[in-house]
Amino acid sequence: MSANTTTFSALPLELKDVRKAFGKTEIIRGVHLSIKAGERHAVIGPNGAGKSTLFNLISGRFPASSGAILLGGQDITRKASYDINRMGLSRSFQITNIFGNLSVFENLRCAVLWSLGYQYSFWKNLNKLTDAEDKADAMLKRIGLERRRDIKASLLTYAEQRALEIGITVVGGAGIVLLDEPTAGMSRSESDRAVELIRDVTVGKTLIMVEHDMSVVFGLADRISVLVYGEVIATDTPQKITENAAVQEAYLGGHGADHA
Amino acid sequence: MAVSTIHFAPRNAARYIIWGFTALIFAIAPFIFTQGFALTLMTQMGVFIIFSLSYNMLLGQTGMLSFGHAVYAGLGAFVAIHLLNAIGKGLPYPVWALPLVGGIAGAFFGVIFGYVTTKKSGTPFAMITLGIVELVFACSLMFPWFFGGEGGISSNRVVKDAFLAQTFGLDFASSIQVYYLVAVWCFVSMIAMFAFTHTPLGRIANAVRDNPERVEFIGYNTQRVRFLVVVVSSFFAGISGGLSAINFEIVTAENVSAIRSGGVLLATFIGGALFFFGPILGAVVFILFAVALSDFTKAWQLYLGVFFVIMVLFAPGGLSSLILMNLRMAAKGKFRQMTDTYVGVIIGGIVLLLGIIMAVEMTYHLTLESTGAKGTVMSLFGFETDAARANPWVICVSLLLGGLAIFEPMRRQFVQKWDDAQVQIEVDEAKKVVL
Repeated sequence: MSANTTTFSALPLELKDVRKAFGKTEIIRGVHLSIKAGERHAVIGPNGAGKSTLFNLISGRFPASSGAILLGGQDITRKASYDINRMGLSRSFQITNIFGNLSVFENLRCAVLWSLGYQYSFWKNLNKLTDAEDKADAMLKRIGLERRRDIKASLLTYAEQRALEIGITVVGGAGIVLLDEPTAGMSRSESDRAVELIRDVTVGKTLIMVEHDMSVVFGLADRISVLVYGEVIATDTPQKITENAAVQEAYLGGHGADHA
Repeated sequence: MAVSTIHFAPRNAARYIIWGFTALIFAIAPFIFTQGFALTLMTQMGVFIIFSLSYNMLLGQTGMLSFGHAVYAGLGAFVAIHLLNAIGKGLPYPVWALPLVGGIAGAFFGVIFGYVTTKKSGTPFAMITLGIVELVFACSLMFPWFFGGEGGISSNRVVKDAFLAQTFGLDFASSIQVYYLVAVWCFVSMIAMFAFTHTPLGRIANAVRDNPERVEFIGYNTQRVRFLVVVVSSFFAGISGGLSAINFEIVTAENVSAIRSGGVLLATFIGGALFFFGPILGAVVFILFAVALSDFTKAWQLYLGVFFVIMVLFAPGGLSSLILMNLRMAAKGKFRQMTDTYVGVIIGGIVLLLGIIMAVEMTYHLTLESTGAKGTVMSLFGFETDAARANPWVICVSLLLGGLAIFEPMRRQFVQKWDDAQVQIEVDEAKKVVL
């Protein structure tokens, strides 16, 4: 491993009265959220509650209209996504977002280059950067795609692409990982495997995930926030969330107890 | 790590063989094609290969469609020819190193214009490049002291460089010396541009091509990536400009025009933007059309246009991917089941092509040259033909209809068989991966 490798320790995240309006429609209406370093946090809520928008604000894809977002105590509200990523926050996408024409291995190698300090260099031979190669290969193994190493990423099955998506997200050594519906569209067994993978690759990191599948949420999360119409109506442990009357009213519809 | 070294070893060996072979072709080509015309042709090919490869850094490797790449080659050429004139007046600088100055000038303008164009990507980027090329072309008439107005800037490459001329006999008075100068620069540029594809920036450029949005979330500023690629690509475009200044000893506004920019786009696409060697093929074919075919017929641009359209429609991967697909078919032994239709397609295609050429040439002759000394009589495939009489047109139409009658059904069968074979290969490959 090279000396200039940046692997972040788990980072805390704080949102203070974050708002986002598209035109006159306010999608995020004053979100307060405080996530501790190393915590596994799930954001749940009905469709259209603004979960993905919230992720887009945190990761810098869109700028927030007002409020403040603090990553490890530093203000990232107005920063570009690549700056936020360099500060140790990485995210995945709900719709698979990989480099389709590159091989599976190249997808992962691209995702480690910045964290290893190679930046925009065009005077270094990629094939001699053994640290990047080793990291990519190690991640390839962890996400179970060694046998698919050299095929084009667009030829992977859906579940494999989702695994690669997670691999790209975590391989750069981020301290906080945002996963947007990592198990969406998966079968039961695929989703169980995905949960194991997520648990494995996010050890020692902060994890925030948007998820619809309650068994995944209750299996993974230390705490849950419930987002309804752009507001967090409750943040608590899974146990307490299922007992929360407002949550049952707004979201779980009284079935929450079945999952507890 | 030891494992990975072994893993890459055979590929490296193959690479040395390919590069060695390429160098050999450059070295012995003048002894195979000995006519003076062939030498002119090959020199221009070398210059255009550098230009096309530099363009493909944008198009194929980063997914940037530029309509203004000639700006960098052209401005590099102008700077180079001014320097050449200065050398002629006694500036101590070696002529063989002139392309380097062209490259630096290209990169300099790449920094300036690239800063503007790469603020956008996709269609807006393409539009801005079109604006830039028109802007620079307009400037060429506004600043005659630099661009030389309508006549351009001319020079003489044979300068009193006493040291080189006396020591090595290297005065660039003969075209063979210019050919080898181009060959060396072309070979070195090819290696450098190939090496670029194996650097962190080169690989991230591919990632930007595939999915710019995601690149922003692995720490890279896509705008910066696009900007840097434009600058590097402009450098090599400038080298080709410097070489063309030496070769032609004249640089005109045409060198910075949208037409020249369109030419390199055509060449790159015909060769194929997906593979590194695609633009090399494209440049060779393009020069054959533009320089060799234009000697035989005034309609060369029409043929080039038709050829381009056919490539875009039926082989969007260009010649390079056609060749590779055929090689793959051959390697998997799938040709046996389609030999008959393949031959049918080729025969039908040739007959059809003859018909089309007759129609085009006779039409051109009637409209453009029938007032000449020989009137409507022309030489077609070596035969004296009167384009105003019915007989040749009857032959022409029968060739067209006959060709179509063979070609079209054969083409359908061929496409069917080709696709079947392709699917078979995919299935076999998939089985291999699973097992």
